[in-house]
Amino acid sequence: MIVTEKLTKIYGTFKAIDDLNLTVKEGAIFGFLGHNGAGKTTTFSMLTTLLLPTSGKVSIAGLDIVKDNLKVRGLLGYLPESVMLYGDLTAAENLRFFGKLSEVEKVDVRIDEVLGLLGLIGWKDKKVKTFSKGMRQRIGIAQALLHKPKILFLDEPTSGLDPQGTKEMRDLLLKLNTEWGTTIFMNTHLLSEVTKVCTDIGIISHGRLLLADSISNIERRFPEAKSLEEIYFNIEGGQF
Amino acid sequence: MKQVFIIATKEFKAAFKDKVFLVITALFLLLSIISVYIGSSTRNAEMKAYQDIVEILESQGATNFPLSPEIFPLAILQNIIKYVSIIGAVLAVFLGFDAFSGERENGTLKLLLVRPLYRDQLVTGKLLGAGLVIGVLLAITLIFNTLLFSLVSGILPNLNELSRLMVFIIMAFIYMMIFYIATLFVSIKTGDRAFGFLTMMVVWILVSFVIPQLADSQRSFAYALNATNQTVTQIPSDTVISKGIEIFSPAVQFQNVGKDLLQGVSETATMNVFEILSRQALSLLYILVPGVILLFASYRAVQKEDVL
Repeated sequence: MIVTEKLTKIYGTFKAIDDLNLTVKEGAIFGFLGHNGAGKTTTFSMLTTLLLPTSGKVSIAGLDIVKDNLKVRGLLGYLPESVMLYGDLTAAENLRFFGKLSEVEKVDVRIDEVLGLLGLIGWKDKKVKTFSKGMRQRIGIAQALLHKPKILFLDEPTSGLDPQGTKEMRDLLLKLNTEWGTTIFMNTHLLSEVTKVCTDIGIISHGRLLLADSISNIERRFPEAKSLEEIYFNIEGGQF
Repeated sequence: MKQVFIIATKEFKAAFKDKVFLVITALFLLLSIISVYIGSSTRNAEMKAYQDIVEILESQGATNFPLSPEIFPLAILQNIIKYVSIIGAVLAVFLGFDAFSGERENGTLKLLLVRPLYRDQLVTGKLLGAGLVIGVLLAITLIFNTLLFSLVSGILPNLNELSRLMVFIIMAFIYMMIFYIATLFVSIKTGDRAFGFLTMMVVWILVSFVIPQLADSQRSFAYALNATNQTVTQIPSDTVISKGIEIFSPAVQFQNVGKDLLQGVSETATMNVFEILSRQALSLLYILVPGVILLFASYRAVQKEDVL
């Protein structure tokens, strides 16, 4: 679904991403791990067409993100880390606006479907500024799902959520993946969440990809490690 | 193009949902009513004073009377020029100060830019939305003032007066859009909406008050020099320097064009619109040039990665 080849991003003299080669399979829930400043957000921004690579290639569902950027955008759904949407508009008005921009047909029917899935149908006509953080996050997911994307990009989707909200988000991601077949790429630094949700992970540090594989393969490759956390810290520390 | 209209419609609706914007709009309309009232009162007072003088002269048996003051109907609306140049500019700044920085702070800019639309379409959508808001506002002002003008003066505007009014409204639209474009540019370049607003308020103060004041001071200085030297010209009048200073104030340029269009200057009061526009071609150029440059700069700035 996602293939990057020698993906590089340079800001001035600083190489933020260095020759990143990554493959994310269709139907995977991919957790992209790394410490702050490791290059997660830059990679994420390039994959979502927000930033142009300095060099290298990225294809999503066989489409080049630079040459076919508008088509690629039609395939992806995106949830930033803290989404506010337009506070003075209702949930339905926000979704109608983003739905129309994504050229969703029968947008009002689709809004009801998505809000129903997210348990927010009763909040449809309430202004978004009155929503809790968890509800805003769910409305954020709703705008990302409106156009039935093949791949969902989530930036720290459980950041700032309480335990109940975190569990609901986790269940929702699993549901989207299993029932709708949506591929999910998520930036995160919560290892506990990764083990509960992700099928695959990638670890990035100082702009270089240190590891990318399925969790089951990783556990087989490092049998002496007691947990994913131990694997992560050892790989980041250069001990594996 | 469809994407542009979706963004424009959203901007248009958002503006009329904003209470502060509605208050400024109400103030703008109220001031236009007051301007008609003040204008008509002034003209009535002039006529009354003239008639009083004529009556006194008649009672004294005079047969020669002073000429009646020239009354140009559109001059009633003249105060509106100042209100558009000052309040209209603020209104445009208010419309645009968070056009991009607000989207960035809300996190909605990224949501927009991952949709199937080009960045320049986003700018065009914002411009079109603001243009619609300003257009509607000015159309209301035009209708309002034409009605008031007819009610107060008791005459229907003729074709020349109507075309002058129309062109004045178009000029007001261009002038307000230039402030909007400048604000949009600042909003694209700055990460903080409060900073953007303050920056534009400083620009507004400069072009609306400081630069005209500087030009006035220069005129007074030249007048004082002439008076001291007892040279022929002792009336404060434009100098090359004062005109040069005023080039940097679209507000002054707009007021110059506005005065001609709304019969505020007797020598142009009987000209047709085309003659006025060709006479004021330089002023028009001084208004348009910064707008076109900033428009181009806005489209360029939005393509840069740091816009996120």
